[in-house]
Amino acid sequence: MPELRRDPITGRWVIVNKETPFTPKDFEVVHDEFKGEENCPFCYGHEHMTPPEIEAIRPEGSAANTEGWKVRVVPNKFPALKIEGELDKRGEGVYDKSRGIGAHEVIIDSPHHYKGLSELEEEEIQFVIDTYLSRSLDLRKDRRFRYILIFKNFGSIAGSSLEHGHSQLIALPMVPKNVREELKGAARYIGYHERCIFCDIISQERGSRERIIFQNRYFIAFCPLFGRFPFEVWIIPVNHNCDFGLMSQEEKPYLASILKQTMGRIKEVLDNPPYNYIIHTCPVNIIEMPSGYHWHIEIMPKLNRIAGFEWGSGFYVVQTPPEEAAKYLRKELSV
Amino acid sequence: MPELRKDPIIGRWVIISTERGKRPYDFKKVEEPAENPAECPFCAGREDSTPPEILALRSQGEPNGPGWQVRVIPSISPFLKRDAELWRKGIGLFDLIGARGSHEVVIETPQHIANMADLDSSQIEAVFSAYIQRTKELEKDEAIKYVLIFKNYGYKAGGSKIRHSRSQIIATPVNLKRVKEELEGARRYYDYHERCIFCDIIRQELEDGRRVVLEEDGIVAITPFAPRFPFEVWILPKKHRPDFSRIDEEEKKNLAVVLKKILTKLKSLLNDPPYNYVFHTAPFRREHKGYWTTIEDDYHWNIEIIPRLTQVAGFEWGTGFYICPVPSEEAAKYLREEK
Repeated sequence: MPELRRDPITGRWVIVNKETPFTPKDFEVVHDEFKGEENCPFCYGHEHMTPPEIEAIRPEGSAANTEGWKVRVVPNKFPALKIEGELDKRGEGVYDKSRGIGAHEVIIDSPHHYKGLSELEEEEIQFVIDTYLSRSLDLRKDRRFRYILIFKNFGSIAGSSLEHGHSQLIALPMVPKNVREELKGAARYIGYHERCIFCDIISQERGSRERIIFQNRYFIAFCPLFGRFPFEVWIIPVNHNCDFGLMSQEEKPYLASILKQTMGRIKEVLDNPPYNYIIHTCPVNIIEMPSGYHWHIEIMPKLNRIAGFEWGSGFYVVQTPPEEAAKYLRKELSV
Repeated sequence: MPELRKDPIIGRWVIISTERGKRPYDFKKVEEPAENPAECPFCAGREDSTPPEILALRSQGEPNGPGWQVRVIPSISPFLKRDAELWRKGIGLFDLIGARGSHEVVIETPQHIANMADLDSSQIEAVFSAYIQRTKELEKDEAIKYVLIFKNYGYKAGGSKIRHSRSQIIATPVNLKRVKEELEGARRYYDYHERCIFCDIIRQELEDGRRVVLEEDGIVAITPFAPRFPFEVWILPKKHRPDFSRIDEEEKKNLAVVLKKILTKLKSLLNDPPYNYVFHTAPFRREHKGYWTTIEDDYHWNIEIIPRLTQVAGFEWGTGFYICPVPSEEAAKYLREEK
């Protein structure tokens, strides 16, 4: 029988297909054809094709906007938001609006045109994480910003227009709706139980092990019981911390390692699918830190078309139960 | 300068990106996979290739034979089932329940026509009659809280390779998140103003005029102030009513005419794009925990139409914060001018 499951954080229900679960082979994965390095603005020697860099990890003595860098951050050429100016909040009858103030940056993960995240060395992934952290800490100094969103789109189906591996960062002047909902759900739980809901999920998952894919000293990667998408994976730090930007030095190599393992396994089992990942973290420049919140990464392979039903209802149909997805991703079930 | 706009009902912010400003012809024609109409199980005369019908509007013929105008059948791969038991259990901090409900397909025409825009408005009216009859029937099942009516047209919008015009009805044993958000937003507004927010939006839009696509016989079509998607359209009845299923004959007829006009405009302006529409209506009202009594006054049914022209990326999923490359005033202008 199919089953309905509720996300204990946001209250969202999902339908899980337990009768005829899809295997990785049942999804139609769309692959992009490589266009090559020639006109790629993110390759070595093409630094002039992007706006001037905001920061980069590069060997000592190497000049900005020249080759030799490990990770490079540039402003988005077609920014959704503008960095200069004031918000100028206004009302118009029942409506509210403001000017589109914010930052929109592109983080070029590595100089390698053809390498996905899992094909980078752990050290290179650590450079990417270092850059995420440094941008997050830098942008929060701007008091206009309330949220710093770091995410990655891979493949055209997942919304990426350039094939050279990159991540994006958007700094927003308000806390987005989904984040507010997560914070509210977490606050409700801690208000009653005096425990962090994410910490409770971690201990429940570690107890059953059914949905865990990888774990190391500081992180676990698992398929959440209530995930919205087939093969959705979360990577979450075991130690309670609401703010990604405040991750410890010690945790960093462990994050790089589990990220490489997880992305590599998704690529292998699901035939290099398009995906999005998003770092969920607490807002910045707010008065009180949300004690019941716990930062984590949500990875969503893009395996099916989202239809009218999902849009209209916020109710998702998951064709592979997370318990089975975890088995495939642990390679206990072969594809 | 890009602009941030807030949906006044559910509080979602969107970015109207003037930098990325796009015109209708900037969106590429979406290719559809090839289909073989001879294999269509939904055409008149092939009734035996579907599960037996739940409802058919017919003036002649036997059940599960030709002669029908609109036909409702169970989904071949249902998410939710009428006969499923509504068990409830908790595993640690997680809640699970049985998938009781219904998942039905409404075949909108006996002919092999793909886009609802190409049906006569009287045919669309008959489709609405089927929606209403099914909703009223499903309401009798106390386990069902909500009936969602929607359409996926085109492959990119979640449609299948068989293009025969149809829509879906899903009855759920839980209140849906999106619906709850709308209801809560509407109630919050009503608590303070003692007016329906949808009625206020209609009034403001008609006075302003910039986002009105058309207004006809008590039905208004607008492009919303804070759209998630380019050329998103809302159809609202001027008459305040929480439930779509309670509309009268006159409204049903006028609504069919307006829906046909809007779908036709979208088809010709945007090169027959894939689209979804979703009926937003109030949940069934029965005494239960969390029930509130002002739904009659604060909620207002409506139809949301979303052409699927852009890819939804990580940003949108992660935040519920959308970037729309076409301001709604421009979208409305294009749609007003299109036949």
